[in-house]
Amino acid sequence: MLTWKTQLFAPAAVVVSGAALAVPAGYAATYLSVEQAQRTLFPGAALTPLGITLNAEQRRAIEGASDTRVRSAEQKIWRASGGGWFIVDEVLGKHEFITYAVALSATGAVKGVEILDYRESYGYEIRRPEWRQQFVGKTAGAPLKLDQDIKNISGATLSCRHVAEGVRRTLALYAAVLKG
Amino acid sequence: MPLCSKAEAGSGRGQSATTLRRARPLLGTFVEITATGASENVLGAAVDAAFATVAEVQRRMSFHDPDSTLSRLNRDAAAQPVPVDEGTWEVLRFAADLHKASGGLFDPSVAPTLQAHGFLPAHERVNSKETESARARGDFGDVEFLAADRRIRFHRPGIVLDLGGVAKGFAVDGAVVALQNAGVLRGVVNAGGDLRAFGPDAWPVEIRAPLEPGRRLLEVALRDRAMATSASTFSLVRDPATDRPVGPFVHPTSGRLADELLSATVVAPSAMLADALTKWLLLAPDAALSYLETASAAAFVVLADGTAQCSSNWHDALGTSS
Repeated sequence: MLTWKTQLFAPAAVVVSGAALAVPAGYAATYLSVEQAQRTLFPGAALTPLGITLNAEQRRAIEGASDTRVRSAEQKIWRASGGGWFIVDEVLGKHEFITYAVALSATGAVKGVEILDYRESYGYEIRRPEWRQQFVGKTAGAPLKLDQDIKNISGATLSCRHVAEGVRRTLALYAAVLKG
Repeated sequence: MPLCSKAEAGSGRGQSATTLRRARPLLGTFVEITATGASENVLGAAVDAAFATVAEVQRRMSFHDPDSTLSRLNRDAAAQPVPVDEGTWEVLRFAADLHKASGGLFDPSVAPTLQAHGFLPAHERVNSKETESARARGDFGDVEFLAADRRIRFHRPGIVLDLGGVAKGFAVDGAVVALQNAGVLRGVVNAGGDLRAFGPDAWPVEIRAPLEPGRRLLEVALRDRAMATSASTFSLVRDPATDRPVGPFVHPTSGRLADELLSATVVAPSAMLADALTKWLLLAPDAALSYLETASAAAFVVLADGTAQCSSNWHDALGTSS
């Protein structure tokens, strides 16, 4: 018959109240560079950057249609040679900074979404633009070592709500700027 | 440059293997797949197939999607039997078996109380009298299975099912099978903390502190089994009756929200089982404990006072010594 056994930890306290933690808190993973994501979502296609900057009217239209905020007028959009678009966007939540890519078909349907870079942090650095800047557009780093670099987390994890909102915003962007 | 790593020394054939790691937003969280031990092409195709099975589970069992099979059940099954697909049937049958084994404590038909507390969107009109009296609303025992043509009927009009407790685990298990069927025999599928490792490797897993999500509570090595953790970290509210923090885990007969444990972690052969057992543990840790052995499962829990306990078979289950 099973029984419960008390677990002892060093540090002994499981719940810490108030004091700042000495150990940096969070999770970080880089899955794909922009180039790798392009090859994954549009295999064999040539991608041409479109250099789109939104004007105020377009911004308002996108925000209104998607009920989200447009963080920057500059958009990272590429046109795919076989038709369709590849868009890179970032979402900044309270505890997360995520770079992701959306692939749209020629008719503006979502073909795929891939996370490029995922940063989860419970310290304050995520609110600092200069800290975030080091991750934007980064090429995937050193080769993944099977026994060292890969960490899995079990426990409270964040919802993908911000990325889902971002995909909604991308669809509104398509309707306002890319369609026809 | 693709992500590469050399194969572990054990293969001895000098064959270089690739490790692929991808994440997509699915099931309301991030689903992360790590796959290794095959060529990049094989891994890429296998990972795509695995994500497709997860997307399919989302299409069928998402509570938030009004067009899912689950939403169709919640809308129509009280009026007439609703046909379901094999996957949804399998999950509901599993839930029925565990509902019986747990004496009714594991019960996916608790959505109205969650809706009333604001944990779930209110697609359905919620009658406030019904949320006060959980018994009057009915429970999972009022879900009828018509096996001949795989249809489901609700015998009470107030029943609303939320499969969040098992659908994620089911999706993880299905993704592992998809990877294996595609020739990938080593890896991990992780859906927002519900994960399953498969193959001979021991994968490091960090269990998070329930009230401090960025802090590691415990690190274990998981080999060829599943782990799930249920905790209320991001969704705690204060229960006005007791003034204690509670999460969205509802006692099916009292209708009260559970507050004895802050989190429960289960290691089990499948992710669906691990996930479901965490829910039972949160409601009745001692009752669930006695079932763990039957299920080849083990548990680690954090109590409301911040102390931690593990089932006496926890270290055996993980193959560790102390």
